[in-house]
Order: sequence, then structure tokens, then C-alpha cells
Amino acid sequence: MSTAVLRVKDLQKSFGALEVLRGVSLEVQRGEVIVLLGASGSGKSSFLRCLNRLEEPSSGSIYLGDVEVTAVSANLAQIRRRMGMVFQHLNLFPHMTAVQNVMEGPRTVLGLRRTMAHSLALRMLAKVHLTDKAEARTWQLSGGQQQRVAIARALAMEPEVMLFDEVTSALDPELVGEVLTVMKQLADDGMTMIVVTHEMAFARRVADRVLMLDQGVVIEEGPPEQIFGAPTHERTRRFLRRLAWEEQAT
Amino acid sequence: MTHYTWHFEAVWENLPLLLQGLWDTCLLAPLAMAVGLVVGLGVALLRLSGVWGLSAIATGFTELFRTTPLLVQVIWVYTVLPLLTGIALSPFVSGLVALGLNVAAFMAEIYRTGITSIDYSQKQGALALGMTRAQAMRRIILPQAVRRMIPPMTAMWVALFKDTSILATIGVVELMYQARVVASDTFRPLEVFTAVGIIYFLLTYPQALLVNWIYDRLRVHS
Repeated sequence: MSTAVLRVKDLQKSFGALEVLRGVSLEVQRGEVIVLLGASGSGKSSFLRCLNRLEEPSSGSIYLGDVEVTAVSANLAQIRRRMGMVFQHLNLFPHMTAVQNVMEGPRTVLGLRRTMAHSLALRMLAKVHLTDKAEARTWQLSGGQQQRVAIARALAMEPEVMLFDEVTSALDPELVGEVLTVMKQLADDGMTMIVVTHEMAFARRVADRVLMLDQGVVIEEGPPEQIFGAPTHERTRRFLRRLAWEEQAT
Repeated sequence: MTHYTWHFEAVWENLPLLLQGLWDTCLLAPLAMAVGLVVGLGVALLRLSGVWGLSAIATGFTELFRTTPLLVQVIWVYTVLPLLTGIALSPFVSGLVALGLNVAAFMAEIYRTGITSIDYSQKQGALALGMTRAQAMRRIILPQAVRRMIPPMTAMWVALFKDTSILATIGVVELMYQARVVASDTFRPLEVFTAVGIIYFLLTYPQALLVNWIYDRLRVHS
């Protein structure tokens, strides 16, 4: 029996004739931080969304611990509560306050009592440094604050893995740092994380392993020093050069 | 016109009759609204069910009632339906059925567009937390959708309140019916229908103002 938290074997996904994932395999160990790199259209977001089956994989298998996520009979609600996910678009529930957003999962899904869910939610908001915004409405929060609440909302379910799908891409540049800081802190606390991002500095400092996706396959994989210091694949080099150029340009 | 002498005594003397009709109007409108709200929700959910046969029936129902005149529907339910079903309904019940189903068709569209107007990312966020589809609908989508539904629903209510007058045609003893009776009894149709127009206005205008107020309030942060 493997000790991996998450095991993905030969994952494939097509939209009609378009193959976005052409056989991706990955084992994630407890506490590991994986960063997925790749140009837009490389399949990295689809990969992440297949992991909790928000997207239906075309073939291949996914295991979360001993539970087969890809099984026909899989209890998706039960699986998804064990995997936290934060999205690129800001999708807090606008009819609730920040703390209500964080309470919603524990209340509705786990059936926690109001008082317990409330104190849990406050602890999670403290983790993302937003205790003072607990009663704020979502439209009163900046994009960075909204993403931090979204992280707290996912954490409140006490997930075994956290999935981050380009969570800083929709933010103004000056708001990116506060979100990455929270993510780094999570990684330091030992959270198992799979992160799709274009933030190279974050990947370099926080990732245990970096995967480079191109046209639906992993073309290169290794520790960040190797991927950023001595990329072997020409496409990786080109991608990193472009990212570096963009970072300088902004 | 200039030589006409108005005799509003005809209205005053028969006010009890008119008020009696008004009572039925005020009974019919909320009942038809209730039918519309309940049946409409069912129709909307069928339409959104994704099951082809069910959604086709729901669509057929909606389009049939939205594309034929209310007057035709009312007369059809009162005269043709008893022939087909063998059950004779009183004018009041026939009128209620026709009006209720008509409102239901429009309500179904209000429900449906309200639900589908909520961005998919909301449902996705709810599912990612581990909610079932039903939980996502109840806790996340409907509460947001309802805010968007209320303005068109209240507007529908105002229209419905006035449309009850059509039921006079099949003999429902509401305000318009009583107005016709009083008008022909007193030979004072001009006064009677003027008065009835004013009664409808006095009842409907405050409701229209309420609709505008609700509209403005709900628009602020959505």
C-alpha cells in the first residue's frame, strides 16, 4: 500500500476531438507541495478540476487515499469535502458575510452546530489574517481578501489536500502577495497542496516538486532548482523565458 | 360631451354591490398568485430537470399560455374543458384555474431565468465544498436567485390584479362584473365605469409604487 495521499494514473480528458490531457500520472505524498506550470491550454487547470471531478475525466484513475475517485459509484460529495479547492474567479457566496461563507461548509455539509461552526470559521479567518473582516460583506472585500476568505472556506472542511487553480491570476498585482503569503504559510504548516500558478518566485520557494505541462502531457518534472536552474526541455526553457520577461515587464 | 350631466349618485347608491365585487377581486388575485407561484415553480424545475420529455412538456405548457390571449384561455377553460373532462366548474373556479395557469406560465419563466442567471462559479464553489446538487440549489443558488425574481414577480402581481377583470366575461362576480350590472341597472355606464377605473387605480397604484421601491432596494448590491 502506497503512502501517497493522491495517486493519479494515466489521466486523459478530451472535449470532443480536443485532447486536453493525454495521459498524466502523479503521486502526491502527505505534506508535499506540487506546482503545475504550463502555458494556457496546456491542460493544467483541467487536470486540477478532474481531481475532484468537477470535470469528468475521459479515462485513467484517481485515488484519494484508498478511495477511488474515478469509480462510477464514487460518492463525490464525500470525496470533495476531503479536497479543498480555490478557484481563479472570485466565487464567494455574495448573500453571506465572510464568516458565513466559511461556516457554510461545516454547517451544511458536516452538519456542525451554529456555535461550533462559527468558532471554527473564526479560527480559519485568523489563519488568513482576516479576523477583523469576519462580518464584512463580500463586496466590501478586495480581491485579495476575497481569495483569502475562499482559502479559509476550503480549510474549514479540514481537507487532506488543497487544490489552487491560478488563484492570483484575476487579482491586481499589488494584491497577489498577501494571497501567496497565506499559501506559503499553509505549506509551512504541512498542508498537502497542488498549485497551478504562473508565480515563479512562489514556485521556486515553496514547491517541493514542479511539473511542466505541455499539450496535455508532463514534459518535465523535478525539484524547483532543477526545473528553474537547468531545464532540459526546450519548451520549458521557452516558457520560463517568457514568464521571466513578463514578470520584468510588469 | 359638454352637455352631459354627471350623476354619480348612481355609483354611491350601488356602492355595496361594487364593494361586493371588489371582495371577489381581492380574493381571486391572491389565489391565482398562489397557484401561479406553486405551479410555476414545478414547471420551472421540470424545464430545468434535463430530462427531455419532462422539459418538453414544461416548455409546451409555458409557450402555450404565453402566446395565446388570456381572454381566450379563460373562455376555453370555462366552456371547452368541461366538455373534455366531464367536470363542470363554477365560473369562479374556472376563472381561478385559467388565471392561475396563465400566471404559472409567466412565473415559470421568472423562476427559470432567475435560477440560470446565477453564475456557474457559484454552483461550482458549492459543489467543491462537498455539497450535493440539492444543497447547492437550496443554500447557494436559490437564495441569490430569489432576490432577482422578486421584482418581476411583484410586477406580475400588479398585472394580475387588473387582469381579474377579464373574468367578468364568464360570469365571475368580481368588480368588473358588478360594474356592468350596476351600469345596466342605472343606465349610468359613464359614471360607473369611471368610478370603477378610479377604484382599480387607487388599489393598483400604491402596489406599483411598492414594486418600484422593491426594485430599487434589491438592485443595490446584486
